[in-house]
Amino acid sequence: MTSPSTPPALAERILSWLIRDRDWRDSIVGDLREEFAESSRRDGLRRARRWYWREALTIGMRALITRGAARRARTRWPLDAAEIESSRSWRAGFARDLRHAVRAVARRPATSLVVVASLALTLAANSSIFALVDALVLRPFRFPGVERLVVIVSSNPQDAFVDRESVAPADFRAWRSESHTLTNLSAAEWWDANLSGTDKPEQVAGFRVTADFFKAFQIQPMLGRDFVRGEETPGQHRRAILGYRLWIRQFGGNPGVVGQAVHIDGEPYEVVGIAPKGFAIPDGAEIWAPLAYSPDEWNNRRRGFLVVSGRLQNGVSLDRARAEIESIVARQRREYPDTNQARMVAVLDFQRGMADPGAGPFMSVVQAAGVLLLLIACANIANLLLARGGERAQEYAVRLALGAGRGRLAGQTILEGSILAVIAVIISVPLAWAALDVSRASIPASVIRFVPGLDFMRISPELFLVMLAMAAGATLAFTLFPALQAARIGISLALGQNSRTLTSSRERHWLRSTLAASQMALTLALLFGSVLLTATAYRAINGMFGFDKHNLLVARVVLPERPYAEADRRRQFVTTVTDRMRAIPAVSAVAMVSNLPYSGGNATRGFWPEGVTVKDREVRQVDYRRVSLDYFDTMRIPLLAGRDFSNGDRAGTEAVAIVSRSLAERYWPGASPLGRRFRITADGEWTTIVGVVGDVLHDWFQQRRAPTVYRPLAQDAPLSVAFVARTVGDPSNVAGDLRRAAAAADPDQPVIELKSMEDVIQDRTAGIAFIARALRVVGLIAFVLAITGLYSLMAFMTSRRTQEIGVRMALGATWWQVMRLATAQAVRITIAGLVVGAVMSAVLGRVLESVLLGGVSNNLSQLGMLTGLMATVALTAAYLAARRAASIDPTLALRAE
Amino acid sequence: MQSYNACIADMNKPVVPYLGEFEYAVLLSVLQVEGAYAVPIRRVLEERTGRPVTRGALYTALERLEAKGCLRSRMDDASGERGGRARRYFNVTPAGLRALKSTHAVLANLTRGLEAILEKP
Repeated sequence: MTSPSTPPALAERILSWLIRDRDWRDSIVGDLREEFAESSRRDGLRRARRWYWREALTIGMRALITRGAARRARTRWPLDAAEIESSRSWRAGFARDLRHAVRAVARRPATSLVVVASLALTLAANSSIFALVDALVLRPFRFPGVERLVVIVSSNPQDAFVDRESVAPADFRAWRSESHTLTNLSAAEWWDANLSGTDKPEQVAGFRVTADFFKAFQIQPMLGRDFVRGEETPGQHRRAILGYRLWIRQFGGNPGVVGQAVHIDGEPYEVVGIAPKGFAIPDGAEIWAPLAYSPDEWNNRRRGFLVVSGRLQNGVSLDRARAEIESIVARQRREYPDTNQARMVAVLDFQRGMADPGAGPFMSVVQAAGVLLLLIACANIANLLLARGGERAQEYAVRLALGAGRGRLAGQTILEGSILAVIAVIISVPLAWAALDVSRASIPASVIRFVPGLDFMRISPELFLVMLAMAAGATLAFTLFPALQAARIGISLALGQNSRTLTSSRERHWLRSTLAASQMALTLALLFGSVLLTATAYRAINGMFGFDKHNLLVARVVLPERPYAEADRRRQFVTTVTDRMRAIPAVSAVAMVSNLPYSGGNATRGFWPEGVTVKDREVRQVDYRRVSLDYFDTMRIPLLAGRDFSNGDRAGTEAVAIVSRSLAERYWPGASPLGRRFRITADGEWTTIVGVVGDVLHDWFQQRRAPTVYRPLAQDAPLSVAFVARTVGDPSNVAGDLRRAAAAADPDQPVIELKSMEDVIQDRTAGIAFIARALRVVGLIAFVLAITGLYSLMAFMTSRRTQEIGVRMALGATWWQVMRLATAQAVRITIAGLVVGAVMSAVLGRVLESVLLGGVSNNLSQLGMLTGLMATVALTAAYLAARRAASIDPTLALRAE
Repeated sequence: MQSYNACIADMNKPVVPYLGEFEYAVLLSVLQVEGAYAVPIRRVLEERTGRPVTRGALYTALERLEAKGCLRSRMDDASGERGGRARRYFNVTPAGLRALKSTHAVLANLTRGLEAILEKP
């Protein structure tokens, strides 16, 4: 309750807080109350309150300023200091220490700035990296019960990239019926669902799932119902559950759509439910339909393509489930040696199994870089603080002599470190935010679907605390050391020391040099890593593809299976689109291919060359492409021998193929492959090779050109096709024409991924480009840190030797001798650091090579160049510091204290 | 500790502290007022000088004068209207008087012979 005569409480509180002296506070606040009462009687309460605020703030500010001024002006009396230093009052001591620490930090602005900047940059880098790893790798899925879910894959658990679309239907059936540790075991198959009959036909990311799929997640559709077992049979399967976003986008969120039919792949599907908001598993799916296989299809154990997930039974551990599934798989290996002999299995927790498979290894590279950066920054900070600690040995000694406890001195040093840490954390938070924003923006829209957890990418309070702990840990560790040393120092020894007799203790000297050298080593390794990845990313985006990526428009269409069951209809669709495109003046050539380079998809077949007997298991897999006429012309892939496909290659005529150069060289080295025959299955028909074309780089991480077989569309027509159009000028100008051409061929058929080839490449390489960019930033920060660290160390060491240098110069040492004296240490540190760094770099190159699937090539000349660069910069820093020392007037140097 | 410091400070101070113009005015006002604390001191200052005086400046001057030894204060009389807070009453010390006198004398010295100019209306 505020009675009419009391002034604004907050203003009074502020004023009281600003005036520290108790008597003055009482009297001033009292005076103002008195005058406030009078003012409110005279001018009314409102004006009085305004008056009070104004007065309270001006008096308070003035008190603040004069207090500071008074303190600066105050004379310090020797006995006064003694009284304070030996005071046992904890609170008084703490307040004094805090002031001391603030002053100590402020008095060496350069050192403090470097420490804070190193720490802030490092923290920002590390915390944003951690936020990324947490969101994309560790916990991309955050819903209740996710820890009880598992993903089973039929691939090697040691593989860097988890291939979750890997389980054969027959294997899955066996697991589902035999497992007692897992419940709601369900399978999902990739499904490009062509939704038509709406205003805007589109291809929707979908999955065909077994009936238990949603039950495993313990979720119910928000509208309608779940799938039932009966719908797993062919004929009963035309049911769909729509994703929330699709429902909003295509049906305006109309609940009436449940129970109605929608057109998918040219067939009516009954919408039975709407999935709850945010549910988009797996791979950002937006539509689900029952997985309905015929008994024959269920018996397929040859090829694996299902995503299998399930829930652990209550009380069952992941290890038990793993053991059970492994025993089933071991039995399958014995029972079906033809197909299952080499099959692996891995039961993964859901986070690992469903996360973006590339994110793990990619992020581990970035994270390792972050840790390296942290080490470099620590070395930097340690060095600066050690130097500072040494400089202050005398101050500590004086205070010890005056009776300060050793604990107090240590405490004060720790306080100094804490102040630096807190400032650094405060600065690093907005930096980390910005870094995350940039990261988020650098993920292309077409890739986002496969990056679950993007929404969780942020600086959480927990992360902030971790940052704080990291900063505190880093600074405390390195402030504590000089403090402990200070506490150990003998008073008389330290007081007797000055710069003439004390260069610095041997032990500390050694420590600092080691720190500087390891900093150089780590930086070299980090820089080398970032250069390697930058080169890799550059090559991935601008390298030798084997085709001309410029002025190329591409579009993908996935034809639905049932309406396009006949090969003729598929061919007709393709021909209609290409004919229409060819009529456009801005299009110089157009063609179709089943798997576009850099699109992420691939198709392989076994390769049985004629005249060689190979066992099933030893068969080489080769890349398999179906292409229309003019494909090689359109892509500008050179024809090296033989002929291109022609109109003469038709369904009835001899089966023909064109092979890539690498395939020809592997199977018929030194001989012409033309006229040779091969099969793609053990008992398939013979295909004759009529031509050889240049190699094409199918994906960025493939260094070796994959052997490839091309077959003509006329003899083998795929369902999934990509059109490529060579354009005159900007490819996007004819995008609309391509869309219209596809619509003319089939109005229900949406075109997906309509973009330029350069965009396709960019999207595909977004991951590696992102890491390269992140590493460049981290590497640059490390470089700057290492150089400032080295320079400040050199400057510090030469400044400590100013007198020695003066004596030597007075005794006739030449400029050159002084320079050599002053830089000898730096040269030793640099050489040691760079030798260790070079070894580390070589190892790091190997590691990167294996982690990133050989996409990185170890390049020793780059390492040499970097080493040279580091040496030059380091020695320049040393030279600058030494030059300052050598240019000192000897008389001044001798007098320097 | 305080008394010890004050003793040392006294020893090291010039015998007659120098007064700034505002301090001179404040010191005179303290003498003018019966029961001098900040509120009436400021009122007298404003009335007599005809200029507005900010409270902050007055408090600073009072504090400084006390530190110089020209003023002595005591806390007393915590009335209800002041929320139970004591007033700080000021007295001019002998040293303050000496300072006033010396400043006055300096001014008198300086004005001597200028009466014709200064006292013209």
